[in-house]
Amino acid sequence: MSTQKHKIIFQPMGIRAEVEHGMAVRTAARQAGVAIDSICGEKATCGKCKVVLQRGNFPKEAITSLDQHLAPPGANEIKYWDRRQKGLIAQGEDPSAFRLSCQARVLGDVVVFVPKSSRSVQQVVRKAARERNIDVRPMLRKIYVELDPATLANPLADWERVKAALSIADPLTRGPNDLPLDIPKLSIDLPALRDLQRILRQGDWRITVTVRGGHEVVRVEPGFSDRLAGMSIDVGTTTIAGHVCDLHSGEVLATADMMNPQIGYGEDIMSRMSFAAEEDRGLEEMHRVLLDSIDRLARQAARQAGMKASEIVELVIVGNTVMHHFLLGLDTLYLSRAPYVPSIHASLDVRARDVGLSAANPGAVVHLLPVTASFVGPDNMGVLLAEAPHEQDEVWLIVDVGTNAELVLGNRERLICTSTPTGPAFEGGHIEYGMRAAEGAIESVQIDPQTLLPRVKVVGSELWSDEPGAPPARGICGSGIIEAVAELYRVGLVKPDGQFDLSRSSPNLEIDGDKVAYVLTESSLETIGRPIPITQEDVRQIQLAKAPLYVAAKYLLNRFGVERPDRILLAGGFGSHIDPEKAMLLGMIPDCPLDRVHAVGNSAGDGARIALLNRDKRGEAAQLLQRLERIELPAQPGFQDQFTLALHIPHMVDPYPNLEGRSPPRDIDPMVYRLFGDHIPGIDRPKPE
Amino acid sequence: MPNDQKYLEKIKQSIIDGDDQVSAAATREAVEAGVDPLEILNNGLMAGANVVGQRFETGQYFLPQLMLAGRALKAAMALVEPELKEKYAGEARAASDTGVVVMATVKTDIHDIGKNIVSSMLTASGFEVYDLGVDVPIKTIIAKAQEVNANIIGCSALLTTSMPFMRDLVNLLEAMGERQRFKVMVGGASVTPEFTEKIGADGTARNAVKAVQLAQRLIREQRIETGATA
Repeated sequence: MSTQKHKIIFQPMGIRAEVEHGMAVRTAARQAGVAIDSICGEKATCGKCKVVLQRGNFPKEAITSLDQHLAPPGANEIKYWDRRQKGLIAQGEDPSAFRLSCQARVLGDVVVFVPKSSRSVQQVVRKAARERNIDVRPMLRKIYVELDPATLANPLADWERVKAALSIADPLTRGPNDLPLDIPKLSIDLPALRDLQRILRQGDWRITVTVRGGHEVVRVEPGFSDRLAGMSIDVGTTTIAGHVCDLHSGEVLATADMMNPQIGYGEDIMSRMSFAAEEDRGLEEMHRVLLDSIDRLARQAARQAGMKASEIVELVIVGNTVMHHFLLGLDTLYLSRAPYVPSIHASLDVRARDVGLSAANPGAVVHLLPVTASFVGPDNMGVLLAEAPHEQDEVWLIVDVGTNAELVLGNRERLICTSTPTGPAFEGGHIEYGMRAAEGAIESVQIDPQTLLPRVKVVGSELWSDEPGAPPARGICGSGIIEAVAELYRVGLVKPDGQFDLSRSSPNLEIDGDKVAYVLTESSLETIGRPIPITQEDVRQIQLAKAPLYVAAKYLLNRFGVERPDRILLAGGFGSHIDPEKAMLLGMIPDCPLDRVHAVGNSAGDGARIALLNRDKRGEAAQLLQRLERIELPAQPGFQDQFTLALHIPHMVDPYPNLEGRSPPRDIDPMVYRLFGDHIPGIDRPKPE
Repeated sequence: MPNDQKYLEKIKQSIIDGDDQVSAAATREAVEAGVDPLEILNNGLMAGANVVGQRFETGQYFLPQLMLAGRALKAAMALVEPELKEKYAGEARAASDTGVVVMATVKTDIHDIGKNIVSSMLTASGFEVYDLGVDVPIKTIIAKAQEVNANIIGCSALLTTSMPFMRDLVNLLEAMGERQRFKVMVGGASVTPEFTEKIGADGTARNAVKAVQLAQRLIREQRIETGATA
């Protein structure tokens, strides 16, 4: 085998790297630390990874970059570009320079330009700490003790000497929310013991001891020290966000976030699980990149808080079950295979060093909230701790939407949860001009009901497109697509069955033979150079994504025995950016008074912070785990009929009294009788136990 | 015959409209008027199904229309099939490009809406379909195919992580020396033509109508192959 190496330069970043003969450009980019988007998992269908070959001689770099230095496109890639050739030419581009970086293999030295639309490091991170009242009842305590120095007359070992002093200091220093020490069981963690003799003498027999759970010393410091810091981290599929907190005051000292580096291995979680299962040492690699980034995040946040990361003595990390398993290096294979069983349900306390984390204090412990199911993870438990549906009399529906949606319904009596794949459409995948919520992505859409003309707002700007100075749009993100389809329905351009209504005429409705699309905006030249349309096929993708979400809510409502929830909470970064009215118009969520639909932001991260600051909440999570009932959706009788009914906008038959006056008048579509005759299928309510 | 054309147009339109009463009535009329059942099948029913498939591709039609078209096909097939058997006797299947298909969602996956639609479209188009359900071990799929002497094995997976089992099925058929006996078609949200080629399956389709066309093509191929080796 040839081990020939080639030079590659990524522009405009100017990053240089050496690459093995035959390696795909995108893989080379990943190794060089250049993150290039991919939604399709390198299948040459999404086009998010496109790059432009810069031809020519670059003497400064000693590189001659030529067409033949990239292997010619295969059938898939040719198919991808064929459809786009005209658009590129119209825009004055040379289509032959455009390549899909997941396909193009390096056979010689090359310079490639990575367009803005292909870079995956610019997502708007939508995770900030919310003000919350949290009872501070930390798991750890700091106790300052002054010891009698050891002498020949009293040669008691250092640890026993500390322990004796602690038993005296404990009642004197204990605050109302502090855990008492369990002196007979009190032990010391090995790294702390290794430090003990030196620190004791360095502090002239005065030290500060950090005790965890009332029974273990995890850290010793010379002299008096008051600072007790912990960190809560939410590992999302796309972003990782964390808060360094003062465990005495509960105050957030610093917030940091970054992209989840696993994005380089696949946008969605399923392709990362495939990578872990199929590639040699794949799991190890997913584990390692996650650890690296959590360490970096901890250092970054600690620095912002004016401390060293080694001051962090406790971490609570939440994420979905797959992230939980990747973090711990657990096999993710069985999570995605029927019967979809996780390794463990129970919460865990693991040493950060055993997990493989190195930034935090050597004695630091990582607490992981319980895992409800393969697709209902510790992040969902975080949401429950933060929103506390189990303390309500009202029946709440909590919806966390992504490529996979988790739903919980209930109140203090009963809690039921389920999950459903929604597909990538909500995150811009499978959508002709879809992209993630990065700068320039359309996130809001309005259509004038009279003129049927649109205006849009893009991420990173407060200006509507018809206002002077509004930036150009580069694509459309999940919330933008939802708004666009909901608006098209509201003004009557899209019929309840999802078809464009060709009897309406709008200057923005484009009909090209069988193909129909509604043009939202002219796009910027740098990226696509064509107007951004919502195609009929895009509308269909949204229908396919929203139907299972509604059906999931309906099965939960049915199981609980209520017609509609008293309140709906939309959780997660995406949920915060959906307009509740538009979500309801589309039929993503069941009927509910609109003023009772709330976006609650990143509650999973808030839940992690709550569990970090209040140890009792960890016990509460354990109880919730026992109480949560689960429904496995596809196994439910009648699922397919309900899915079919829910494809309509907002629904084929189910009433939405709270949309009255906001949606076009709803007549029963005769389609329902043609499909089901006179008996429209409902869900058989389970018999009371 | 121009008269035939009138009947066939009506049948074709009934499939496009997804109206099972009209499709049954129009087919009955055509049969009674002596139109060749193979003509009815190919230039009436399948011609209509073709249009439905095209409209589904562009998004004009959606799953409900597809289901209705399936029912309209099925109602008409019930009338055409006995005629085909009578006229072409043992050759009916050959004449109509249909055969026996074993369908399943593979082991580790329980998602089946897509697979169910394909099963019903195949049934509607005259195929004899054994649908084994979800989470089916590959050995069970193969055993059933052997038992019913299937022409085609159709397997599906929605989850990317379950797709390797389709590869395993092809490999197991190879190892058993049974690969030549069955055509294998694969499907599911994440399945691509590249994947299909990579695992050595015989084809995949983007939607249920295309799946029927694929199955018919595979049947024709199989006939040529076995004819050539016979």
